[in-house]
Amino acid sequence: MAPGISILSEVKNINKKFEKYALKRAIVVIPLLLTVLSSLSALGRSDEILPFEERYQTMDWEDIVAEADGQTLYFYMWGGNESYNRWVSSWFAGRLMEKYNVHLQMVPVDGPGVYINKVLAEKQAGRNSGGSVDLMWINGENFRAMKKADLLFGPFADRLPNISYMDESKLEFDFGYPIEGYESPYGAAQSVFEYNSARVPDPPSDMGALLEWAKENPGRLTYPAPPDFTGSLFVRHVFYYVAGGYEDFMGPFDEEIYSRIAPKVWELLNEVEPYLWSEGKTYPSNLSRTQDLLANGEIWFSINYSPDGAADYISKGRFPESIRTYMFDTGMIGNLNFLAISFNSNAKAAAMVAANEVLSPEVQYHAASPEGMFWMSPLDMERLPETYRRKFESLPLAPSRLPAETLNRFSLPEPGADWLTRIERDWQAEVLRK
Amino acid sequence: MTVLKRIILLGLVIGVILPMIPLFVWAFSGSWFYPSLLPQSLSLRSWSYVFHPGSRILEALFNSFFIAASVTILSLIVGVPAGKAIGMYRFKGKTIVEIILLSPALIPSMTVTMGMQVLFIRYGLSETLMGVILVHLIPTIPYMTVSMSAVFSHFDISFEEQARSLGAKSLSTFRHVTLPAVFPGMVVGAMFSFLISWGQYVLTLMVGGGRIVTLPLLLYSFAVSGDNSLVGALSLVFIIPSLVILVLSSRFLTGESSGMGGFGGV
Repeated sequence: MAPGISILSEVKNINKKFEKYALKRAIVVIPLLLTVLSSLSALGRSDEILPFEERYQTMDWEDIVAEADGQTLYFYMWGGNESYNRWVSSWFAGRLMEKYNVHLQMVPVDGPGVYINKVLAEKQAGRNSGGSVDLMWINGENFRAMKKADLLFGPFADRLPNISYMDESKLEFDFGYPIEGYESPYGAAQSVFEYNSARVPDPPSDMGALLEWAKENPGRLTYPAPPDFTGSLFVRHVFYYVAGGYEDFMGPFDEEIYSRIAPKVWELLNEVEPYLWSEGKTYPSNLSRTQDLLANGEIWFSINYSPDGAADYISKGRFPESIRTYMFDTGMIGNLNFLAISFNSNAKAAAMVAANEVLSPEVQYHAASPEGMFWMSPLDMERLPETYRRKFESLPLAPSRLPAETLNRFSLPEPGADWLTRIERDWQAEVLRK
Repeated sequence: MTVLKRIILLGLVIGVILPMIPLFVWAFSGSWFYPSLLPQSLSLRSWSYVFHPGSRILEALFNSFFIAASVTILSLIVGVPAGKAIGMYRFKGKTIVEIILLSPALIPSMTVTMGMQVLFIRYGLSETLMGVILVHLIPTIPYMTVSMSAVFSHFDISFEEQARSLGAKSLSTFRHVTLPAVFPGMVVGAMFSFLISWGQYVLTLMVGGGRIVTLPLLLYSFAVSGDNSLVGALSLVFIIPSLVILVLSSRFLTGESSGMGGFGGV
């Protein structure tokens, strides 16, 4: 037999085998494809210029703006509010494109867990540049987690020209955790109670009175189960009420203070539990479930971090017109939310430009207006140019919206983040599963 | 038989159509509060958002469709030969191959997500359409293989032998004998693959990282925030393609075919 023919028959043989072992082929093809793709993506990488993070501290702002030109920016944010999504993806993105030739892509996700895990996995995989997340909407526990794991770029906030419109004292701590320039403000949150004014003409003036009211009106009050963000907010207000103020919770976690106050809080919450919605047998899982109950008239109070949430919902038909907001005479908790940049972003210059632009009075004003997204601005009104301060003051107020002056006057600071984790954990044990 | 068919039809209507009615009403409602049976006001707010370019919903629709179609084609390419091998032949290590092929359907994908994510990042596949398509193949290939092996285990090899003895080449044997016999099974498997890919959330999020936007990702954001009107509108956008596919392929699902032997032949 000629050698050629023997090879041919060998090939045929192999072919036959292959037909039988078709699976193996599949098993071979996929890794092969993976290898080819990975080697393709490895091409064309060059690190000739120093990376941005080694230069930006000595660059002028104009140079940073010039470097941002043409960059694409992936902005990861909670995507559950249509008004926010619309504003960011069209008005704000359009402005960045026009002014700076920065292409902002909104990435709507269902929670910060998504981008924290994403950046963490990239760090573990050794991807130190070209990360998928550039800019993030963040605060509190999530900021702390990312900063502790070295997942953030910074300090950058002090380099932003528009940071001068902020009150410096608000740039020190985020839920008691030092910011150190690793995030810059985006918006403000001030908690208020939403209530059904058709049912409750004169809402109780502090937490103690509210809990008493609940006993007289069984089934008309509830709060989301912590660790839900707003549920935990409700419980924090009970802590402030029992302690007679916020001052005790400002420092790092203190077991002595905690063990003095916490038992009284759990006692109070357990005492009122049978009078809560559904006899306290269950708690709503999140804010939107609680707001549904309020909208449908089942409960008459709901705590919310956004003072404009009610106005926004009424305009969308999600709340009846009779919903109003108010604050305790003893004050209610407020905080800021921020923008942070990932350590492995390839668009850090553009991210800084966007973080700066969002702090400009003009942008904040548009965001706050009804054409924007009913935004609560973090800017210090005292530092704004006269014209903008007037514009902010003359913003039309929906009937459900408290004036900015009231919101500021009754605002209380957040406790530190480690207080939060402890309170949320113990609520589960002491109230939910006692 | 007709009575049975009617009962089945009734069940289908109650089980499939009725739950969709509230979605439809929600999608066009402005405000709708308990206890009224119908919305107090109607609104096109959700639809104006669906077609708003910034909402990325049309982009997501296109992505979902492109991914699901590619996944279906690729799992056919892998699953049909694999199903044939498992359904028709005995070979050494067959059980092991079966276990490997089916394990993705048995092990919850959450448990391996983190490890896979790191792998995909290393290979430069994360945040790419290609990456999302590949990762969707993990749950779809088992389904395709199972339905094809069920089909092939009932396929009589003597049909092929007959064709070959009458002089047909292997390609035309496949085209004129094997393919028509197994086609309904392929349709079933393809439908499974398409719908699994179409509804995939965790794997898309893991590999696409939110950058590759598909309908389930957008739908979930709004479901969490409780915007029922938008959830209704998005759900309709989400359901319609699957209904169209179901209707188009229903004529292949009659079970009256020489190669169609139902499931459980593995």
